[in-house]
Amino acid sequence: MTLVAAAIVLWAAGWMLNVRLATGPVAETRAAQLAVPIIFGLTLLGIWELVVRGLDVPGVILPAPSVITATFAAQIDILWQDFVQTFVKGALSGFAMGCVAAFAVAILADRTDFLRRGILPVGNFMAALPIVGTAPILVMWFGFDWQSKAAVVVVMVFFPMLVNTVAGLQDTAAMQRDLMRTYGASYVQTLIKLRLPAAMPFIFNGLKISTTLALIGAIVAEFFGSPIMGVGFRISTSVGQLALDMVWAEIVVAALAGTLFYGAVAAIEKRVTFWHPSHRR
Amino acid sequence: MKKTLIGAAAVLGMMAPAVQAQDLDEVTLQLKWVTQAQFAGYYVAEAQGFYEEEGLDVEIKPGGPDIAPEQVIAGGGADVIVTWMAAGLAARERGVPLVNIAQPFATGGLQLTCLKSTGVETPEDFPGRTLGVWFFGNEYPFYAWMAQLGVDTDGADEDGVTVLKQAFNVDPLLQGQADCISTMTYNEYGQVLDAGYAPEELANFNYLEQGVGMLEDGLYVLEENLEDPEFEDKMVRFVRASMKGWKYAEENPEEAAQIVVDNDMTGAQTLDHQTYMMGEVAKLTAGSNGALDPADYQQTVDTLLSAISEDNPAITAEPEGAWTHAITDKALN
Repeated sequence: MTLVAAAIVLWAAGWMLNVRLATGPVAETRAAQLAVPIIFGLTLLGIWELVVRGLDVPGVILPAPSVITATFAAQIDILWQDFVQTFVKGALSGFAMGCVAAFAVAILADRTDFLRRGILPVGNFMAALPIVGTAPILVMWFGFDWQSKAAVVVVMVFFPMLVNTVAGLQDTAAMQRDLMRTYGASYVQTLIKLRLPAAMPFIFNGLKISTTLALIGAIVAEFFGSPIMGVGFRISTSVGQLALDMVWAEIVVAALAGTLFYGAVAAIEKRVTFWHPSHRR
Repeated sequence: MKKTLIGAAAVLGMMAPAVQAQDLDEVTLQLKWVTQAQFAGYYVAEAQGFYEEEGLDVEIKPGGPDIAPEQVIAGGGADVIVTWMAAGLAARERGVPLVNIAQPFATGGLQLTCLKSTGVETPEDFPGRTLGVWFFGNEYPFYAWMAQLGVDTDGADEDGVTVLKQAFNVDPLLQGQADCISTMTYNEYGQVLDAGYAPEELANFNYLEQGVGMLEDGLYVLEENLEDPEFEDKMVRFVRASMKGWKYAEENPEEAAQIVVDNDMTGAQTLDHQTYMMGEVAKLTAGSNGALDPADYQQTVDTLLSAISEDNPAITAEPEGAWTHAITDKALN
């Protein structure tokens, strides 16, 4: 009970500190803006730890953060191997293939009206397919290893990327296109100099949505048959072994990978579309 | 406080209809797998009114590929669960003190089924092969066997095998993705036969015959609950009625299969397949009156202890108090 009381005290203390920081004279400094979410996160972890210990929650229901951290440190080589299998081989390769393919199809669809009318409904249909239905089939077609996971990812990221790119390519005003025409610019020149740059915010939107989809797809696909490694494999089997600390360690890996991946794409976007109003300071 | 938290978890699992008769004692049974003849005894006991005769209102909760019964009972979602002994002992070592109170399955149905055409005829042929294995607590017998054979499980070479996480179907064998796959005598093996293979074309390794068999579907409860005489009495009546259901199912396989199909809310089971399954399951329950044979228990424990490894972390020490005859002694007299 004392631990639970301590959790309440910790929560109150963290709250007060954050209110002070966020409304006080230092609120505008970079350090304070960084400190507030960090304090919030640490307080949450602290409360979690104290409540789990205080109420004696069984480890198979919810392990304490300290236990998860210890498992993470002890199993770092297995976690790395799973990360490479799921993220690098499955998610990244699927992401690259899916996005490049969607981009190419979007260019084609933009060039011919026939394709645009035909392909968007097909893309729409693909996006509506439930992953739990397609994953077993793709495992059947492409085998148990990362190739089938990449295929699931391709299916998942294709549509958001396609729709965004097609929308982006249409995002130029008639005046701008007319101007290019008066310069005697060819289709390719117009595409590269005017329309693709204008489409960049949309394209990056698609890429950013795809980062998280890719990770989800790769992990869930591993539930439907996999070699004996990978984040999804470990999560699904560790639950059966009641090794919930391992499950949480893998969740941490997936969360870190997903956040960094998204962050990386967002950082590239900032450099490429520096001219866009949303990036003006 | 602990009670409320666990109770909250329990409520999540108990959205089922409330009791009709108030004088009946409620029992929640969590099955290891989906509704099928593997659990016919419980469904028959329910349908034939054996539970009601004992003054019990039993709720049978089907499991599935993402449900670990050990976790359900730890969270308070069930009074008694059906699980395999290896998984039960593993849970016990991880802080869920499960106790075997009855063992309706005298023998096990787990096998490794290989296509002879791929060149596997004896266990010596395993190295270099790809083998399909079920995880989620079902992998313990496999790793114990491989350890006994001295076969590595880190990839196919002259002394190792590649392990695939097999989904709960037989596709990897039919599609040539694996040389051998896990099957249960009463389910997947029949699916392989249905797919057009003759028994002569298949090399079948029963884990029991290989000396690494482990007790399957037993009934497990939490140790602390057994200290409560009221709970103990409920379990005595539950086991008595369940065993009556099992024996009835053995004698009337077709009726039992129909009862199972009637209880299958998903509509996925067919009467044909359930009749086949009931016939095979009856062979496994036939030798049991419900009381655990301590020798079988010891074989399971010894096999597990002989093959402790990273991949097989089931148990690391001889368990104590993991089974009791207290319930069956009272139930079967």
